[in-house]
Amino acid sequence: MSLSRSRVSALAAVAASLTLVATGCGAGSKTSADTAASVECDYKAPSGKTDVNVLAYNSSSVDPYTNTMVKSCTKGDVTVNHQPIDFAGQVQKTTATLAGDTGTYDIIETYSFVIPQLAAEGKLEPLDDLVDEYGDEYGLDAINKNMSGAMTYDGKLYGLPMQAQMLIMAYRKDIFDKLGLKPPTTFAEMIDDAKKIQAAGEVKYPIALPLLASADIVTAYDAALGSLGQNLTDPKTMTANLDSPQSKQALEALLSLKPYMDPQVTTFDQPAVQQQMYNGSAAISIMFSGRMNDLTLPANSQYADKMAFAAPPSVNGGDVLYDTVSVDGWSIPANAKNDKDMLFEMLSSSVSEKASKASLPAAYPARDGMVTDDSMPFAAAANESIAKVPPSEPYPWTAEISNAITPIVANVVLGKTSVQDGMGKMQSEANKILTEYK
Amino acid sequence: MRRREFAVLAGPSILVMVGLLVLPLVRTIEWSFQKVDYGSPGSFVGLDNYQEAFSDPRFGKAVIFTVILTLIVTAVLLVAGYVLAVLVNGLHRAKPYVLGLLLVPYVIPQIVGATMFSWLFNPNYGGVLSYLIEKLTGAHILWMSETWPNRVVVSLDVIWAMLPFAMLIIVAGLQGVSDEMIEAARIDGASTLRLHLSVIVPSIRGVLGFVALISIMDVVRTFDALVPLSPQAVQIGNESIMLYIYNVAFQNGGQNLGLGSAIDVLLILLIVVLLLPFIRGVAKETRAG
Repeated sequence: MSLSRSRVSALAAVAASLTLVATGCGAGSKTSADTAASVECDYKAPSGKTDVNVLAYNSSSVDPYTNTMVKSCTKGDVTVNHQPIDFAGQVQKTTATLAGDTGTYDIIETYSFVIPQLAAEGKLEPLDDLVDEYGDEYGLDAINKNMSGAMTYDGKLYGLPMQAQMLIMAYRKDIFDKLGLKPPTTFAEMIDDAKKIQAAGEVKYPIALPLLASADIVTAYDAALGSLGQNLTDPKTMTANLDSPQSKQALEALLSLKPYMDPQVTTFDQPAVQQQMYNGSAAISIMFSGRMNDLTLPANSQYADKMAFAAPPSVNGGDVLYDTVSVDGWSIPANAKNDKDMLFEMLSSSVSEKASKASLPAAYPARDGMVTDDSMPFAAAANESIAKVPPSEPYPWTAEISNAITPIVANVVLGKTSVQDGMGKMQSEANKILTEYK
Repeated sequence: MRRREFAVLAGPSILVMVGLLVLPLVRTIEWSFQKVDYGSPGSFVGLDNYQEAFSDPRFGKAVIFTVILTLIVTAVLLVAGYVLAVLVNGLHRAKPYVLGLLLVPYVIPQIVGATMFSWLFNPNYGGVLSYLIEKLTGAHILWMSETWPNRVVVSLDVIWAMLPFAMLIIVAGLQGVSDEMIEAARIDGASTLRLHLSVIVPSIRGVLGFVALISIMDVVRTFDALVPLSPQAVQIGNESIMLYIYNVAFQNGGQNLGLGSAIDVLLILLIVVLLLPFIRGVAKETRAG
């Protein structure tokens, strides 16, 4: 069967279109490959064709590291593969790939919140020996000690930090200047500012927090609780602190913001809050730092040059902010079949000095001294935020408890459950989980 | 047909069906009686998973939401699909173009279509429809966070996505209605409404039954559309059974595969109950034919 010239052209056009669509989807993020640095990735290649599969969610702050690894470590017969995926997808695939004796992925993106649980279950490879062996070659001694600490469990390092995300407050400087307002340092001041913005008719719902009922809302509760000096649990007595006076204050603090937030705020995740800032329907927002650079891009918003940044407020005053820090890093699954030395060199290259510099300003690299006012428009806010963050809770049960209490916090914020009842239910759920760890 | 020919022709289909339908079904039933984590053999827990499912009020709410959604959407699909099919069938040269245009929602992935649909009602992303409705009625409706407005949005999206399929099948059915019968009814003085109700609809009863059958199966399994359309589905009682299964079995890296399997078995039973009248109807027609 022979194809006419026009049919061949048509087929070629269709194939080209499909390729464009596929590669367009594959780009996955706004920063895509243009932030990928070319760095040294000098591993000893195994004989024969080798595939290295990387699991990492797409975001402006993680993509530069992933793209650098893919670009720099794919050579000869070794191919580094990365498929675009969102955060929820990464969570699912992480559970699945770590479950059996063999997994799909050789390198996985992890974060401080899940390291204790995965490490306690023996799912990850300890990296200390590899750091000793390759630390000098990749300058790993410049990795921030606190961030390494956040990826450590029981004295062993399970994730090589790439970048950190902390909460930052973004606000509309033009509105603040016009009304003579200062960036709030407490929730009470934030409410005062919001009242004035509302009264001036500038923005109907000035405050924007990601309070998605199925996910983000528990981060907000935890940040408020931390600002009030309380942890979710007491590891010594193995009891939860969710019916404590601070827990009550934390829930009431979130409730106190409701009149100044969009009535549908419990359906808003971080991209939705970004959208509020882009379109001018909010004047004050608190999100993770990885979302901040997008606010400064004129392509995203007509208000891009009017955005200013500050550390988030504390709930009731004091030095501990309404804040939380998540350290992102690379881990090697214990069931990865490829050579661990090769894998470690790959992930080390992606957090090298050159690669980390390329990630600015979208990311807050894990290397000391990189974040300055010249390198990032919200550097001062980020540095203050990370200095005044509540202590982390590196326990295997933290993630499980957070998941269990999420719907309860949501029902309290939505007014479907009273604060008192909600605290009782949270305490009961958390203590049930803690019993399994005793 | 000789046995050997039958084996060669039917074998591949039977193999695929056993591999992709029977084995997963058997494994689902097996897991429904076990506590199962990824990568490790399950341990027998008897009826614990079923007991847990029945004692969770969310399961009951999910069943009620799913059944109501299925009944309403299927009814609308049959009526609107029929009306649309009649209109399209009356077209001549424009017919293929209009058909092609109407099929667009059906070929768009549900998650993409639902995300775009949600923007119509979300002021944060433009919210054209919510803006127009507010202008016309003066009512500020919270489409994403209030139970019944959100149910309307979800229903409209599912109807929008599935109507082309219903319309297409009914158009095919209408092509089989003889012109002589319609002509005879008109000569007998039948009004347009009477013509449709008493002549055309009974003639394509089997086709309508098929549309209902497929629609019920599809709507009962509503899942991905709810992710963008109902971000707090759990809190407002708009969680479908499939979303409930996902939430209890997989959300946040969860591994409640045994409980998820038990609810899956219950869902299969529910689908069978909902389809029973249609299956009996199709079987009767097959016997008669």
